[in-house]
Amino acid sequence: MPSATLLGQALISGVLAGGMYGLLALGLSLSWGLLRLVNLSHFALAFLAAYIVYDLGTNYHVAPWWSAMMVVPAMFLIGVAQHWLFDKFKVNELASLLITFSFAMIVEAGIQLHWTADYRRFETHYSTWSLRAGPFYIPVLELVLCIVAGILAWGTWLWLRKTYVGKALRASAEDADIAAAFGIDHKKLAYLLSGIGAAYAGVAGTFIALIATLAPAQIWAWLGVVFAVVIIGRLGNPLGALFAGMLIGASESLAMAVLSPAWAPVVSFSVLIVILLWDPDWL
Amino acid sequence: MLLEARNLHIGYGDAPAVWDVSLDVDAGEIVSVIGPNGAGKTTLINAIAGLLRYRQGELRFDGTDMARVRSHDYCAHGIALVPEGRRLFVKMSVEENLEIGCYLAAARKVRNESLERVYGLFPILRDKRLQLAGELSGGQQQMVAIGRALMARPRIVLFDEPSLGLAPTIVDDMFEIIAKVRDDGAAVLLVEQNVIKALGVADRAYVLEQGRIVATGLPDDLLKQPHIREAYLGV
Amino acid sequence: MTSANALPSALPRLAAVLGIAVFAILPTAGLPAFYDSFFYIVFFWISLSTSWALLSGFAGYFSLGHAAFFGVGMYTTATLTTQFQVPFLATVPAAAAVAALLGIGIGAVVFRLKRLRGELFALLTLAVTFVIATIILNTPIDGGAGVFMSAVPMPDIMPTQTGTIYVLGFVMCAATLAIAWKVAHSRLGMGLFAIHDDEDVAEAKGVPTFRYKMAAFALSAGIAGAVGGIHAMYVGFLTVGGTFELTVPLYVVLMSVLGGSRHWFGPTVGAAVITTLLYAFISGGEAMIGRAIVGLILIVAILWLPDGVVPAVQKWFRKRKASETEPAASIVPVVTAPARPVGERTILEVRGVTKRFGGLQALDGVDLDVREGEILGLVGPNGSGKTTLINVISGFYPLSSGTIAVDGAQIGHLPAHEVAGRGVARTYQIPRPFVNMTVLDNVALAATFGGPVRPAAEVRDEAVHWIAFTGLAGKEQALPAELNLHERKFLELARALAARPKLLLLDEVLSGLNPAEVDNAIRLVRAIRAQGATIVFVEHLMRAVVELSDRIAVLNEGKLFALGAPREVMRDPRVISIYLGKAYAA
Repeated sequence: MPSATLLGQALISGVLAGGMYGLLALGLSLSWGLLRLVNLSHFALAFLAAYIVYDLGTNYHVAPWWSAMMVVPAMFLIGVAQHWLFDKFKVNELASLLITFSFAMIVEAGIQLHWTADYRRFETHYSTWSLRAGPFYIPVLELVLCIVAGILAWGTWLWLRKTYVGKALRASAEDADIAAAFGIDHKKLAYLLSGIGAAYAGVAGTFIALIATLAPAQIWAWLGVVFAVVIIGRLGNPLGALFAGMLIGASESLAMAVLSPAWAPVVSFSVLIVILLWDPDWL
Repeated sequence: MLLEARNLHIGYGDAPAVWDVSLDVDAGEIVSVIGPNGAGKTTLINAIAGLLRYRQGELRFDGTDMARVRSHDYCAHGIALVPEGRRLFVKMSVEENLEIGCYLAAARKVRNESLERVYGLFPILRDKRLQLAGELSGGQQQMVAIGRALMARPRIVLFDEPSLGLAPTIVDDMFEIIAKVRDDGAAVLLVEQNVIKALGVADRAYVLEQGRIVATGLPDDLLKQPHIREAYLGV
Repeated sequence: MTSANALPSALPRLAAVLGIAVFAILPTAGLPAFYDSFFYIVFFWISLSTSWALLSGFAGYFSLGHAAFFGVGMYTTATLTTQFQVPFLATVPAAAAVAALLGIGIGAVVFRLKRLRGELFALLTLAVTFVIATIILNTPIDGGAGVFMSAVPMPDIMPTQTGTIYVLGFVMCAATLAIAWKVAHSRLGMGLFAIHDDEDVAEAKGVPTFRYKMAAFALSAGIAGAVGGIHAMYVGFLTVGGTFELTVPLYVVLMSVLGGSRHWFGPTVGAAVITTLLYAFISGGEAMIGRAIVGLILIVAILWLPDGVVPAVQKWFRKRKASETEPAASIVPVVTAPARPVGERTILEVRGVTKRFGGLQALDGVDLDVREGEILGLVGPNGSGKTTLINVISGFYPLSSGTIAVDGAQIGHLPAHEVAGRGVARTYQIPRPFVNMTVLDNVALAATFGGPVRPAAEVRDEAVHWIAFTGLAGKEQALPAELNLHERKFLELARALAARPKLLLLDEVLSGLNPAEVDNAIRLVRAIRAQGATIVFVEHLMRAVVELSDRIAVLNEGKLFALGAPREVMRDPRVISIYLGKAYAA
């Protein structure tokens, strides 16, 4: 049994890693929960954003936050364009899964063609900074990531809860026809939501560039876990996505410390299986 | 004439449900359309509310031809719907449901005033305003549905089977409220299975059977004619 | 009629035999080993995607976990050969068996969930794959180091190793296609296709849905396991990452969807096309461009050919054959044979039936007897429980309490498909035909699962008879979407009759029909009764109920309120008051 310090550190690292899960899960949860479209290209877009941030930072010395300010709106537009395609062809949930997977394949191919399959690392002078809290180390970048994820999740939650547009989105997701009877234009909202989901992928991508090592095949590495997080956090619930992300991150990290690193995936998927079998309506 | 429908043909997919229906509603009137189950009442009112497109015929609201108006723009013209079975947003609170009613800009400006009026009409909703709409009883949900429509400050309120699934005492309350809605300034078009209640509150009425209007006139006159009995009882 | 007629049926058979012959002798043609390898890969993907389609394409239960079975098969072979020195060929059936058992295990849990459909099944199968992969990674089966197969002796089937692998892959592929063809043309396949379109209705028509899904899943998993076993030999070195890579289950899905997952040959087309494309680009050194192009083709295919390539081609051929003018729906001739007098046997006996939904009491102690050959009209205001009673009798809802007997046999506790087997058939207010099956197949299915086991030709004749009886003659090859509402309602009736039911339950069969169609329908119901069926029908069109019924049962608030001759019942002041209010009746 590892020491308390080791467990504590594992817990902290896990929660921080969970922040990334939550950030990735945010956009996916919104579009799946409120639009009933499964968007597998979310991960590809995040990585595309990551590569662009890496490229601008490494080759042109553009600071990541400036890159983000360009990339995130660009992602928004890509999300809108993607929804235009879905709308035009009246794509259903299953087809959206297949089409976005194909789209992700195309993006992955594009990334590999341009940047090759070599591992890429965005080196910054602050990438190794970390804070000390007693015996524990808290990497600064990951802490910032969690704070940003928290702000975004909370902000989204407030937006959905308190603003008219947010309420209109929730109403439309429940009963689009009756919402329309009170003036809510489902189509316009769907475009907005698509764009926002993709924009969140852009934010996640910025942090992926800063924290992780980039390789095209990595696009698929997080797919399973993030899906599990989205479902466990309940669809369409931004705070749920974040908390589920941190919960899963922490559980994985603890499992890794207590058992062995390779057991980590079992955690999220076992939780997922149990939840789905116990309450099919959770979805 | 506030609402004019002429020779409407309405259907689902290839199933025609309503044939050649014409009716009028004037400002300040309560008009009832009665008929047995399956007569096409919900189809008719959904078309007038913009949820369904009609295939043939003409629908005019305050002179405007509604043929080219999109579904989500019907409300802006002053038409509000209280749907069959309430169709509330069950995962949202009572107050949020009411707020959806005043989503449109003009109604949104007077949100607080409208809310006060609705809570005045249905005091119990004020107590339950933060509760999820799905947790309320049938009668309370009906109140929310009516309140939601009133929040839109409509010129006409369409009621689709307001008595459905409600206990008899609550049904009485509902029809009193319908009368109050008219008194407050909106015209009312209601479709209803319950003959006595619907005719009791109406200024004029139509009888719908198998998708067609088979009789129209003043409530007392209709009660004396055989059409209602034949439509509901087949004899 | 155009000169380019549809292919004579001998041609596909000839093509198949030729294809098999060509591929069987290919290794001896002396082509470079590269071709053995390439064709093996093609066979591999064909087998894998065809096996996936057995459940997911035919029955519509979309699985994202095909890699689990494939991987389990691979590692079974790897473990047996390297750790237990079992000869390679003997491990292949073992791999199939282990994978099939896994499939049965998953299915036994997952198919019992009441509301398991769509995305849920996909996600569960995906999650199971990840868990299995992790378990294999962390146990001595793989342990993280991977498994080397190079020391395992290859059987001596062909002079070269690649030749042997080719033959194994080819045999597997041919066997898989044979199985897929057989399933598609069997009762199992018919049932699976029906489950795909509407599982509840399939169940109501007598299809044993749970058993069939399990069978398809076990077959699908078993074949994938065998494919995996063979593939272990091909790769030579297994890793968990490579085996359970996410793109494997997704490729299988895409290949099937591209070619047409409902057709037994669809995945073959998709697999061949995609594999060839990918290979063409890999050998050119531009693998990623290949993947991008595959992605693009798939997007185009899903948007424009949602059913897949093979069905699209079939549809194209059908359109060229179809006649230009559609005959109008024929009117059923008036039955000249005298109506039978109502018999003595009690066909339906309902005693004290209650049904609760949570707090709502839908049925509150209903007692009812219906005699043989009777037409009973079931009426009542909204919410009175009419449709609930039909649903309870047909087995769609379980009873809360009470008993129901059909011709003496208790059916109250039976699931829907067994109730159908006892001679009860029902129609739905909004017709629910199997949308991807022709009119003939729709009716044939009901005859197959609703009657005794008979040769297919007899079933077909029976189906044609009922199609003619309901006035749909000439429309046997039409798809339900090509019929109007009137015709679809009659298709519902033909389907119900094909099971030769003792008791026919009609749910608002007249709703949505114009007056001429209503008269037509009434004539048909009378003709059905003249054939000997007993009919209970729920209807709102009161004039028709009064005209058609021998007796009327009025339900109100879940209880039987009145029962008797039509005109008497509908003039009873108590009945009038529940429809029109006490004031009216006074």
